[in-house]
Amino acid sequence: MNILKVPLQIFRYKPGQAPRYDTFTVEIPAAAHVIDAIDAVWAIHDQSVAFRRGCHHSSCGSCAIRINGVEKLPCITRVADVWDGHDPLRVEPLRNFPIVSDLVVDVTGLFQRMSAADMSMICEAEAFLPFTVDTFAVADLDPKLVELPENFSRFSRFEKCIECGICVSACPTMAADEKFLGPAGLAAIHQARKKTDDPVRVEHLLGLANGEHGVWRCHSAFECTEACPQAVDPAGKIMALRRELIARRFTKMMGK
Amino acid sequence: MWAYALNRITGIGLVVYLYLHLVVLSLLLRGQAAWDVFVTVARSPYVLALDVFLLAGILIHGLNGLRIALTGFGIGVGAQKALFVVVMVVSAVTLWVAAIKIFRI
Amino acid sequence: MENPFAEEPKPTSAWLWQVFTGVGLVILLGLHFIANHFVAKGGLRDFKEVVAYLRNPVILFLEVLFLLCVTTHALLGVRAILLDFGLSEPAERRLDQILKAVGILTVGYGLAVAWIVIR
Repeated sequence: MNILKVPLQIFRYKPGQAPRYDTFTVEIPAAAHVIDAIDAVWAIHDQSVAFRRGCHHSSCGSCAIRINGVEKLPCITRVADVWDGHDPLRVEPLRNFPIVSDLVVDVTGLFQRMSAADMSMICEAEAFLPFTVDTFAVADLDPKLVELPENFSRFSRFEKCIECGICVSACPTMAADEKFLGPAGLAAIHQARKKTDDPVRVEHLLGLANGEHGVWRCHSAFECTEACPQAVDPAGKIMALRRELIARRFTKMMGK
Repeated sequence: MWAYALNRITGIGLVVYLYLHLVVLSLLLRGQAAWDVFVTVARSPYVLALDVFLLAGILIHGLNGLRIALTGFGIGVGAQKALFVVVMVVSAVTLWVAAIKIFRI
Repeated sequence: MENPFAEEPKPTSAWLWQVFTGVGLVILLGLHFIANHFVAKGGLRDFKEVVAYLRNPVILFLEVLFLLCVTTHALLGVRAILLDFGLSEPAERRLDQILKAVGILTVGYGLAVAWIVIR
């Protein structure tokens, strides 16, 4: 097995201390991903390194960071693909979010924006579940249809988007404007709009996007679409929302 | 990212130029002598060189602006990168031709 | 806690005006450029030529239209850059007031100069 000796330059920050970079050298298999290298740093060198990791296969969106300045998911990014073989591999937190500690950022803003669309989405597999518990033979519970709890939508997720925040980090407008809904928020609005025919709800969703800090604040940098690891194409969704908003304005003007 | 940065930089540059140009036009109010002196200065090669810069800004901002208008209406979003390349190439070619014409005046 | 992003904001037409004036400028600036630098002898008009140029009603109309378009487009652009810094609500309103005033002054100045020159 090929082993790589990788110097990892990690951004460090703890509250009350000045930010700095620490470099650690770890030995990892050549086929390993960047998250494995960060794991190795934590396990072998410094357990105070704070970072998020989860599924290791780009489903949870937890581990998003910047690798050599570019937003990526380290769980699907091989070290060999981003390391030139000698210079330290630089690893930093996402931009445009407050830093909590080292590579961990406060993603409240992301979820706040996405929940503005109040969108519930049920994966196709879940829709076919009978929601009984007889399969699971849980004691005390009769096999019967379990009613969905009232706040079920809190647990639902967006189809392609894994809510990793990479698009927000890449967006130049997000860097300056705290009021901007951002690529993730606007893509969520677009997704919610596609999933409903209720005219009142459509009107509301489009209304959310129609403000000065909605679709119109986007400056077409397209960095979000470039950086997205899941091909959500937030920029395309923003442009589609714009097209619909303009079409509606036009028909209103024509008095239809 | 380049498209965004270039559009912003050229935009700011052009606003500055706009107001400079408007101020210069006040020389018209000082009569023929003042204006004709300005025209002589404006024909000097240094000013002409600056004019080439101005034209570069106009071409990049204008053509990229058209690209942004198109993609902003949802047209050609998938081709946005290619469109930017086209914008820069057309700008460069036009600038080259215009620069030759300008320095022949 | 109320989600500030879940409240419908005021709709805006600024971007649309930016696009319309922008497209208008491609045409009007093109005409202005050609008329003043490629049609004019030596690439620039001297005083007498400027007066004659502006006394043409079609030219005057196009140049005034050009001035309106370029001022609107330029100030909307400045506004867009400044709004990118996430100003407070009252600051946004104040910015709009200031830019409107600058726009009116700019166009007024241009019209005044043209008027005086023609006379």
